[in-house]
Amino acid sequence: MSVRGLRIGGTSLAVLGLLLVGLVFGLSFFWVSTEASQGIAQRIFYIHVPAAWVAFLAFGIVALTSAMYLWLRDDRLDRAALAAAEGGMIFATIMLTTGPLWGKIAWGTYWTWEPRLTLTLLLWFIYLGYFLVRSSSENAERGKRFAAVVGIVGALDIPLIHLSVVWFRSLHPQPVVVKPDAPSLPGDMLSLLMLGLLAFTLLFFGLFLLRYALETLRDAADARERRATT
Amino acid sequence: METAIEVAAPVATAAPTVLEASGLVREYGTVVAVDGIDLSLGEGEFLTIFGPNGAGKTSLLRVLAGGVRPSEGVVRVRGKELDFGEVDWRRHIGVLSHQGFLYGHLTVEENLRFFGSLFELRDLKTLIPERLEQVGLTDRRHFLVRQLSHGMKQRLSLARALLHDPDLVLLDEPYTGLDPSAASVLRNVLSTLRDGRRTVLMVTHNLSEGLKLATRVAIQVRGKFAFEAQRSDVSPDTFEHLYHEVVEGWK
Amino acid sequence: MRGYLGQIRAIVWKDLLLEFRTRERIAAMAAFAVLAAVLFNYAIDKSLVSPQNIAAGLIWMTIVFGGLLGIGRTFNLEAQDGAMQGVLMSPAPKDAVFLGKTIANFVLLYVVAILVVGVFMLFFGLDLGTSPLALAGALALGALGFVALGTLFSAVSSGTHMGETLLPILVFPLLVPMVIYGTTATGRLLGGRPVAEVAGNLRMLGAFALVAIFAGAGLFRFVVED
Repeated sequence: MSVRGLRIGGTSLAVLGLLLVGLVFGLSFFWVSTEASQGIAQRIFYIHVPAAWVAFLAFGIVALTSAMYLWLRDDRLDRAALAAAEGGMIFATIMLTTGPLWGKIAWGTYWTWEPRLTLTLLLWFIYLGYFLVRSSSENAERGKRFAAVVGIVGALDIPLIHLSVVWFRSLHPQPVVVKPDAPSLPGDMLSLLMLGLLAFTLLFFGLFLLRYALETLRDAADARERRATT
Repeated sequence: METAIEVAAPVATAAPTVLEASGLVREYGTVVAVDGIDLSLGEGEFLTIFGPNGAGKTSLLRVLAGGVRPSEGVVRVRGKELDFGEVDWRRHIGVLSHQGFLYGHLTVEENLRFFGSLFELRDLKTLIPERLEQVGLTDRRHFLVRQLSHGMKQRLSLARALLHDPDLVLLDEPYTGLDPSAASVLRNVLSTLRDGRRTVLMVTHNLSEGLKLATRVAIQVRGKFAFEAQRSDVSPDTFEHLYHEVVEGWK
Repeated sequence: MRGYLGQIRAIVWKDLLLEFRTRERIAAMAAFAVLAAVLFNYAIDKSLVSPQNIAAGLIWMTIVFGGLLGIGRTFNLEAQDGAMQGVLMSPAPKDAVFLGKTIANFVLLYVVAILVVGVFMLFFGLDLGTSPLALAGALALGALGFVALGTLFSAVSSGTHMGETLLPILVFPLLVPMVIYGTTATGRLLGGRPVAEVAGNLRMLGAFALVAIFAGAGLFRFVVED
């Protein structure tokens, strides 16, 4: 796919995603019903949960493309991993900022060691490791491979971290916080949540394509520069 | 006291090709260390590659030894392309690197025993004393490597490189830092490699030593072969002049 | 297969021999263990908290921090002597090299772990609890997973400008399962709970170690190639 095609596709998806996110915002303020125990503050849920979903989806893409990169050595796969990682980190940051905000307003504390929040925090640090290893490597090619390894090991460990953190939580129950969870959501909330998931996913893929196109251009420019100086 | 080394006549081309490289390129970031080199070494040949610092000789050697992948091009040992996913072909290659590949805090014998185990060699109890005898280090076998002089370390490196009796031997600057007597010892050991079945590639900027054992010579400048010839086509007296001409000419 | 195990054994022996001769890492790790315990003594207000209650956590964190000190330097000696290249160019498969280094690191770390437990027992009057064997097992399984991840990422960090300072960032997030299951098991054992209560924890520690070892063995070759 040509760079131009990627940029058109990426921009369209991103714009569509943004419009939908705007719609979700609007609906979450004016349309959806208020959750009984938490009141208005709960509405941040419609941003918070989709952001988490995308953060983990992105990491799945990072892990998959990284594994394929190590196998096939195609630079395009590495670029895809990088683009996905950047997107993923952004959405993880969104989740990690909306979470404590919600917590403070709804329950009075910023941080509750809730398993999903904790897992996303750790994911955020794995992303950080991914980028640090890429940028501080002495050799750019090795940096790509190092990052791929970080992505793969991270993906292998995340299920274990999830299990352990949830189990830990069951041992040390915090004050029970009511958080509507998908299966038990009333109809309109569920619909808005699904819309939110769709919106954020489209936005992510739009950004992903744009970032991928940018990286492709950058690599091409580097290659031209190298040939010019030899 | 120098003993004259006989230079063999060029080997008839019926000898099988042991080492082959085509279109070899090796880049490190924006630096192109090896810039398109083709090479074909037959069994029994001894190729010495000369060149100034920064010519990319060490990089070339590392690619040929299977230490790093080429950025472009192919290396073939006995007709088979080097497969970094396999390890068996490494048994046939011996490398003497100017890095030494030795552990300073282990003794001479412990170093050889370690690498012998990596190469899965049997009978190390008899093999190691033999090799130590060959390089004249028998009485130092319990010395820690960090206690050895540079010349002795080179000899040990050579023993390590030849421990598994490889038929392709790659030497990176073996004479660097050696005084004339140490160089003489090294040369004597290297001359035993000229037995017709072993193939040797040596990189050096010691012009006189490099010529002594070679059957072929090449001069590498800035990643390319600027000059190639059979040893019999060059004369030791004029080689230095030729070398400087070639190197200057490429600048 | 015999040759493969022989290669691993050679690498383990070589690393332990080098450590025995230089004593660099073990000295740093052991000193850290003792000094950390001393600092903990002053850092804990014994009128508010009894060390016994938090011993499990303190023990594991001391092992992790001290262990990382030593593991971070796994490839320093190799780089110094330039010998790593020689090992990589030998017919030893990269996973064998990884396993050898990991086992050697495990031996070092386990010695330090035992030392840490001993020091904490001494300083804080702990006893070994229900089953010293199960405790030893928990420490071993936790250490195994830790060392496998640490060795893999030590090779990664050695190839970066940030070096050892990168290691905690890479390793700590991944260690959460080990810390959770390890400290819970240790806490229960030290607190006199029956061994059956820690069986699940030990299984999870084992699973963690297995994943870490397989991941490390499989991915090491991509880290060290040039």
